[in-house]
Amino acid sequence: MARSKASAPGADWMREHGPGYPLVLSSRARIARNLEGLPFPIAAGEEDLEKARGMVLEAVSRRVAEDRDWEVSFAEELSRNRLEMMAEEHITPAAFSDRIGGRAVAIGPNDGRSVMVNEEDHVRIQAILPGAQFMKAWKAADEIDTVLETEVQYCYDQRLGYLTSSPSNIGTGLRVSAMLHLPALVTTGDIGKTISALAQAGIYVRGLYGEGSGVAGNIFQISNRQTLGRTEEFIVSNMDMIVRQVVDNERTARKMMLREAELDLADRAYRSLGVVERCRRVCYYEALELISLIKLGVDTEVLPVSDFNILEVGVAISPYHLREFLGGEAGEEDVDRERSVHLRKMLDL
Amino acid sequence: MNIFCDECKKNIATVFLTKISGNEVSRVQLCEDCAERMEETTEAANLLAFLPQILSGLHGAEEPLVEDVLSSDLVICDFCGTSFNDFQKMGFLGCANCYEVFGDSLDGVLLDFQEATEHIGKIPGKASESARLRKRLLELERHLDRQIAEEEYEAAAAVRDQIKEIEGKLEMEAESGTE
Repeated sequence: MARSKASAPGADWMREHGPGYPLVLSSRARIARNLEGLPFPIAAGEEDLEKARGMVLEAVSRRVAEDRDWEVSFAEELSRNRLEMMAEEHITPAAFSDRIGGRAVAIGPNDGRSVMVNEEDHVRIQAILPGAQFMKAWKAADEIDTVLETEVQYCYDQRLGYLTSSPSNIGTGLRVSAMLHLPALVTTGDIGKTISALAQAGIYVRGLYGEGSGVAGNIFQISNRQTLGRTEEFIVSNMDMIVRQVVDNERTARKMMLREAELDLADRAYRSLGVVERCRRVCYYEALELISLIKLGVDTEVLPVSDFNILEVGVAISPYHLREFLGGEAGEEDVDRERSVHLRKMLDL
Repeated sequence: MNIFCDECKKNIATVFLTKISGNEVSRVQLCEDCAERMEETTEAANLLAFLPQILSGLHGAEEPLVEDVLSSDLVICDFCGTSFNDFQKMGFLGCANCYEVFGDSLDGVLLDFQEATEHIGKIPGKASESARLRKRLLELERHLDRQIAEEEYEAAAAVRDQIKEIEGKLEMEAESGTE
């Protein structure tokens, strides 16, 4: 089997600047589907999981991949490191490696598209694009969905729509999310108001690694809570509108910091730069906080450091990417040491 | 994703907590009640609430309770063996049939969580074909009633044939769907 794409440090969407850069890091659309006549993965035995995997992957290879360069990996054939690296690159959720039997991932030719098999649902179609491109991301995922649907029969109910293992995904099965870098809102403390408003508007606010993850590096992932009783177009355009508002809030907070607290802003950015220049080991969480403040300094032009993409750096210094770089068996101390070296290299320090 | 609270496994989780030590990350999701209780205990000191504002943002919002459906705990899906109790513990349904078996109880959960109980989005190609046929069937049946009322028996016979044809198609589709 071909080497997993997860081995390359990050896909193109992490390196490119999309609309809304540098505040909107990425747009993601994810569609959940299940095959009719089979129990959902959580209740399925080995045989049914294999059957589902076979059906989905055959449909993917016949109708989606065609002769292009898609890579298919069976979860049980990947090392623990590689599985975790896929999560660090947002191809799979963090819990993907908890139960690997019958699971698989098909990854598109470096275009942010992927199809995950037998995680919570039989099929999870995903498209990630740089910056704010929610409509485009949804269309890319929807196109795969429409094509797969000509090959397999999905669980569909006239009233409830597409049936999913968790009722949180039922109906459209569509979750649209945005990854946002909001250091000024966090520093000024205004993030609380923004989060409250988002929660009330039916928007989930989460950390860098989505469901159940904490916020690190002032990177927030926001996504629609409701998937039922709304059209896909509404979910997508609503996310677009909401992201614009949050981005406006962050811009205002940055302007305010520059106007009223430039010394404080510069001090935070320079201190972070100082630590990155001199540290000899740094944990992942602290490193994300440091690059976030350095990036804020770069964006607001108080720091004479060349621009970098915070997601690209964030992924390159994540625990399992560094472990893989060091040979797969490295301990925490070695990883933390290598992280400090990596940071200086990536930031040209 | 599991929508229920890790502690009580009954209420819908609205608070997401994370603990980071070195490179290890552990997570817990709680409903507002359990989160508040947790805050009062010493355990809270070990948990980092990164988004405590969510709590204040949701104060006053009605508490989604699933207690009223507890009586259906013992209902078990005849296709996959999942019970409603399993669903409350794990947050996942085992198969499409669960949605029928747990019908009414689930509608409560859907209303709480989704604030809706009906899909208005994409319709799969095959399903839309049967939806179209069903609509045509209703039209023809109305037409037939009218013709019989007006004693146009010859025309009514032709319509009856059309109805039979469509019913046949729908039956075939239903059969191929359950294969």
